[in-house]
Amino acid sequence: MKILVCIKQVPDMESRFKPDSAGGWYSDTDLAFRMNEYDEYAVEQAVQLKEQLGGEPEVVVLSVGPDRVVEALKKALAMGCDRAVQVQDPAAHLKDPWQIASAIAGYAKGENFDLIFTGLQSQDRGSAQVGVTLAEILGFSSVTTIVGFEYADGTATVRRELEGGLKARVQLKTPALVTCQLGLNVPRYPTLPNIMKAKKKEILTLPMADLLHEEARSATVSFYPPPKRSGGIVLEGDVALQVDQLLDILRDKTTVLR
Amino acid sequence: MDFELSQDHKVLRDSVREFVEHEVKPIARQIDEEHMIPDALVAKMADLGLLGSYLPEELGGAGMDLLSYILVVEEVSKACASSGVLISAHTSLCCGPILSFGNEEQQRRWLPDLTSGRSIGCFLLTEPDAGSDAGSIKTSYRREGDDFVITGSKIFITNGGYRGTGIVFATSDRSLKHKGISAFIVDLTTPGVEVLRNEEKMGIRGSYTTAFALDQVRVPAANLLGREGEGFKIAMDTLNGGRIGIAAQALGIAEGAFERALAYSKVRKQFGAPICDNQAIQFKLADMHARIEGARLVTYRAAWLKDAGKNYTLDSALSKMLASEAATFVTKEAIQIHGGYGFICDYEVERMYRDAKITEIYEGTNEVQRVVISKLLLADR
Repeated sequence: MKILVCIKQVPDMESRFKPDSAGGWYSDTDLAFRMNEYDEYAVEQAVQLKEQLGGEPEVVVLSVGPDRVVEALKKALAMGCDRAVQVQDPAAHLKDPWQIASAIAGYAKGENFDLIFTGLQSQDRGSAQVGVTLAEILGFSSVTTIVGFEYADGTATVRRELEGGLKARVQLKTPALVTCQLGLNVPRYPTLPNIMKAKKKEILTLPMADLLHEEARSATVSFYPPPKRSGGIVLEGDVALQVDQLLDILRDKTTVLR
Repeated sequence: MDFELSQDHKVLRDSVREFVEHEVKPIARQIDEEHMIPDALVAKMADLGLLGSYLPEELGGAGMDLLSYILVVEEVSKACASSGVLISAHTSLCCGPILSFGNEEQQRRWLPDLTSGRSIGCFLLTEPDAGSDAGSIKTSYRREGDDFVITGSKIFITNGGYRGTGIVFATSDRSLKHKGISAFIVDLTTPGVEVLRNEEKMGIRGSYTTAFALDQVRVPAANLLGREGEGFKIAMDTLNGGRIGIAAQALGIAEGAFERALAYSKVRKQFGAPICDNQAIQFKLADMHARIEGARLVTYRAAWLKDAGKNYTLDSALSKMLASEAATFVTKEAIQIHGGYGFICDYEVERMYRDAKITEIYEGTNEVQRVVISKLLLADR
């Protein structure tokens, strides 16, 4: 059995984001990066499945991005993945979800994976498209937003979240792809000995250009913070005058009196 | 020249940071108030490998370098200085000398239990009348057949309350001064080892600081560490390395307090604006940051020197001195930035202020560090 986990490295979400010089994405200077939270659930589930099956499956972890993403890959290796693939692309942030999924598919096609785990979405872009698009390109069955996972004899049985607290059980035949949601599991902390062992595991670097032959289908054209809320208006002077002013404001700027 | 941590060091630091954020930080205040680190936390730290970071893998360690160990102590101490010193004293002062001076049999006999946390390590050098003047210890030993028999008293023993494994220093003949001192590895549950008390303290209250009476404690000759008469050298060499661990602890305390003060200065409003808009606060923040970064560079360099097999005595003393003085300075200013709230236990910087002070005292007072540094500067005279 062969398992792929797709992970992304994202900034600490408590950072202060500023647009980059092109204005289409955030500037990544001075940001601290970590593994996307949902992808940690994906890594943990893949490693748990490997353990459940007595260590037989090979778990490959993949990330697209500049060289700093190797840190996220190393963490996944320290959590128990067997080997890593970096799809090297310093400009990954300019690729749309279709291109990212196409590039990953370009790698995954020749590898015959039985199961693919991804996060529900990335914490920075949040498109939630890469996982399902990848499944579509590969012809895999897929289920999103899983909060429970079991596997036996080529069938994965997952629990998904529905609206209003409802849950659904879905069975799917491999090859399959699932996107992982908060609540699926509690990711382990990499132990120090496992961080050391991870140093000896293979990290394969593949240039983006070798895998991607698709044009972008969408582009993020600008990136901006919400407008700053202006301060409130303080009415002053005679009370009767204040009432008139207030009525004018309510009539002109709100729908209260319409 | 490269001032960046390697990717592997970053993975380690971030992993420990995440663990500390979830498992240590939420109970740091409880640890201080209850004067105890929960056994469950000690077990979790051991499972993560924090109790044997630079010990070899075949002895249950993680096989990392000293800089990794420094990062571990720093990250843990950011949230809880008591937990930081547990790791530091255990690793530097007990595992360290067994690794450096123990024979293979001793390493195999003692280190796996220490790295796995089944036994917590400590270092029994200090006595009521022998602090900085460690050469004047009175605890004595004599040979009896295949055993050594040790008698005396020891105080201020970090981690002593666990009654795990101790490196005990004793003299065969006080007239020989330093040359009469030997070091022994002692199971602290051996008959004759009596815990007199665990001290009540100003800071690092979750850490045991223990007074022992040693009454005719019989240890097998196989437990002699190094050769007879080498004890003082073992003690000084151990403290020389251990100081970098205390520097890391102090650095962590300072960083923890700085993080809180910086965040607080942005949200606390007086006169209609955050207090960080005042230059008086801005200058404090700049001074605090400067002390921390200066201490960090020297501390990491000391670790790097030791990892590179170079002489690190000067940098080790410098790092301990600078980092501990950064810690007392920064924690004091952190309280000042918090104003009255800083004096209240809820805001935790008061605990950091209390925890910081000991770092100027233990593993060689800062006066002793200045002696070490100035002696090296004047060595050609």
